[in-house]
Amino acid sequence: MEISATVNGRRVTRNVPNHYRLIDFVREELHLTGNKEGCGAGECGTCSMFVDGVLVKSCLMPVQKVINSNIETVDDLDRDAGRTVVQQAFHKCGSSQCGYCIPGMVMAATSLLRKMPFPDREQIKEGLGGNICRCTGYQKIVDAVELARDVLNKTLPSSALEENTTEPIMGASTPRLDAPGKVTGAAKYAADMEMANMLHMQVLRSPHSYAKIISIDAKAALAMPGVEVVITSNDVPGIDNFGVFIEDQPIMAREYVRYVGEAVAAIAAETLDIAIAASKLIIVKYEVLGGVFDPHLAMKDGAPQLHEFAKNNITKHTKIRKGDIEEGFKQADVIVEEVYQTAKIEHAYLEPEAGLAYVESDGCVTIHSPSQNITHHRHALAKILDRPINKVRMIMSTVGGGFGGKEDMIYQGMLALAAIKTRRPVRYVFTREESFIASAKRHPFTIQYKMGLKKSGKITATKMVMVSDGGAYAMSTPGVMNKSAILGPGPYQLDNVWVDAIGVYTNNTPSGAMRAFGAFQSEFATEAHLDLCAEKLQMDPIELRMVNLMRDGATTHTRQKIDRVLAVDCLDAVMKLAGWDKGIPNRHGNSKVTRLDIGSTATRKSCTLGTHLKQEEDA
Amino acid sequence: MLTYDHYVVAGSLSEVFDILDAKPASRILAGATDILPWARYGRAGDVHLSSVIDLSKIADLKYIQQNGNKISFGANTTIADLQNNALLREHASILAKCAVWFADDQIREQATVAGNVVNASPAGDTQPALLALNTNILLMRREQGEILKRVIPLADFIQGPGKTLLGQKEIVAGFECDSLLGYGSAYEKVGHRRSLVISTVCLAVIGKASKDKATLEDIRIAIGAVGPVPRRLRDLESSLIGSSVTGLMVRQVAEEACDYVQSRSRQEYRREVLVNFVERGVISVLNQVGLKVIRYGEELTSV
Repeated sequence: MEISATVNGRRVTRNVPNHYRLIDFVREELHLTGNKEGCGAGECGTCSMFVDGVLVKSCLMPVQKVINSNIETVDDLDRDAGRTVVQQAFHKCGSSQCGYCIPGMVMAATSLLRKMPFPDREQIKEGLGGNICRCTGYQKIVDAVELARDVLNKTLPSSALEENTTEPIMGASTPRLDAPGKVTGAAKYAADMEMANMLHMQVLRSPHSYAKIISIDAKAALAMPGVEVVITSNDVPGIDNFGVFIEDQPIMAREYVRYVGEAVAAIAAETLDIAIAASKLIIVKYEVLGGVFDPHLAMKDGAPQLHEFAKNNITKHTKIRKGDIEEGFKQADVIVEEVYQTAKIEHAYLEPEAGLAYVESDGCVTIHSPSQNITHHRHALAKILDRPINKVRMIMSTVGGGFGGKEDMIYQGMLALAAIKTRRPVRYVFTREESFIASAKRHPFTIQYKMGLKKSGKITATKMVMVSDGGAYAMSTPGVMNKSAILGPGPYQLDNVWVDAIGVYTNNTPSGAMRAFGAFQSEFATEAHLDLCAEKLQMDPIELRMVNLMRDGATTHTRQKIDRVLAVDCLDAVMKLAGWDKGIPNRHGNSKVTRLDIGSTATRKSCTLGTHLKQEEDA
Repeated sequence: MLTYDHYVVAGSLSEVFDILDAKPASRILAGATDILPWARYGRAGDVHLSSVIDLSKIADLKYIQQNGNKISFGANTTIADLQNNALLREHASILAKCAVWFADDQIREQATVAGNVVNASPAGDTQPALLALNTNILLMRREQGEILKRVIPLADFIQGPGKTLLGQKEIVAGFECDSLLGYGSAYEKVGHRRSLVISTVCLAVIGKASKDKATLEDIRIAIGAVGPVPRRLRDLESSLIGSSVTGLMVRQVAEEACDYVQSRSRQEYRREVLVNFVERGVISVLNQVGLKVIRYGEELTSV
């Protein structure tokens, strides 16, 4: 399909596959990688670019629509004149973190200000409603658009965009060094990288949650013109296992597949289209087995044993035993029990996984990827590829969000092996769906909580029995169990503590590291439980915390002595700023007490609606 | 992924019908904002089409004009046009109020009203607004070289989830709706978040006061996302016309709306929201047209 268009002021004519969308044309054909493909389904906005002056989502635009159109991408927004006012404002306000959403945000802000030169904060939020950010929480992005608006309208001088260099730097707001590359889209993420003679990888993944692999027949795939190599676990030269704590995961499924989406085979071909077509020709014979999906059932005798070394599928059982828990309950005036559950959420970093591997002239295999764990991965790879450590190199590319989800080496092994076998660079880019299916999730927990307290609020006993679905491979489960157990009972001085944190293998997607791993789930249960106890004791929930918070000289749940503890001071300061309305938690439901905590100037406004047209509201 | 053997950006209506004659099973698209997300793993998966006809560049399908007491607009009218076009804002303001809730700024520029209607999702945002405007849909086909047109009320055109009366080799030419100068309008929508969300409940209300500003002369209420098809609430409309309207009366009429919820999920939530949407939408329209009515019961807090 021949496409002629004007892109960033320059006329181009190219021949592309007819199924290309505008995003493919811009990124793959023209190598303008400033705009990204975060989802391919029109949800995230990283692909936003101007077509004939109108901002559109290029992942939703068949390339045929732009014949003879005028296209403006983020790559040349400034027309070589230095960054635009919007881009400078993003830099000044510190709006970028991982930076992956920023080119799209810059485009959306630019479009908004072109259409609406005087937007208020709510109109800005609505104008950017088609763009998602996973890192920043949006506040600084909205600040940047306000700053750009004011400078463009001359309400503020252009010096407002300049960096404040102050001495001393401590306590000052310093500009981010990585921002210029991110606001212009110049920063290269792994999917933006390419090398001459590069191959494209596609991975065949298991459709079954638990099955034995009987055979893999790749003959037809290998015969396809343009296919350079097909690899399976049979091609791995060294000791094929990796894992952050327990090395139980092969780089491709070996003998068994243990979760839907596990990698079974990988193809490297001249084009992505060829690699995708070839993957459909690989014939895998499975013997489907009965899997187990509930961690409580997986622990029972008779459940399928998913890993030889893990009896009753226990990945990790962390125990905290302090004091005498039964004695603690005997001393209690009140005992409160409840069960809490947390969900298996997805990190959804805006950058889907991607990597580029190649072999240097001295035989060193080098992998660029947004790995959060390159040292560990490098050593694991050296063992897996049976190479000396100085012949394996891992480079951490600009990470478009990780949050723990990019700690596991789930694709770098395949890339390295394919690069070695083909002696060519190989690139692999996950689709958003692939990222959902194959990558780690947050450990879901079921927490049985039992707490004994005196009428004064003093906790006499805390017992937490926690079971977590660790999924098919260990990933960070041991660490998550440790952290959830050690930190779970909270910053409270407790004499009698009993905690079980049990991570269990199942045939679900593996659970891995995810922000605060483990402590988030267990502490949620503790704080929720304390609020429940406050209700039962008819106490203000903050007062209940104050009674129990650690102070100087406290002993932790693992018997560590802490000399200096500022928890009470922190809570005091926070409560003053929060305008806390004291009282027992359920007093508003069954009494005539008026709420003091809402309706004041400090109350955050509810989500405003339809600001593009001021809708009348009468309620 | 969506792939095709042939993708043609048609330059004229005759080109469209030529291709349809040769390949009657051709897939027709305009904005492509529904089909591309659909053809992905987890939904339709890889979809290969033999022939696609893109009619988004056909000038004959892009028009917005007034004909007496009717407004007509072509199939290539985008959702953004509903927001930006002065004629539509003046004569059919409900469409603009609906548009600000539709997807996001970028998708609105690409997506067309015709596409939204033919997709016939039970949660389609434009349908309640169009039904409130007594919209007719104009269809066009070519048989033995002759262009044949038919006009169908939108309520009849939409048959069920994903089902319409659109025939094979037939295209949507445009829409025709009431010109409603001086009417008040309100659009309500709720979903899991503010932008880019499929409606859990959506509603359009349009109304006009009598000359003496004592009663409602006309009111139209249409709902979506709570049943297999969008619909007008004509019973409720008749209850509100003619008599003098109070907040209590609006509340009582609104409470009848909950029985129209046919959803299979989140029934209780949708019933409560729908009643509140009817009440809030009607109160808003009443006040816009000069009938000062306060919502029944205590004032809402600003939480």
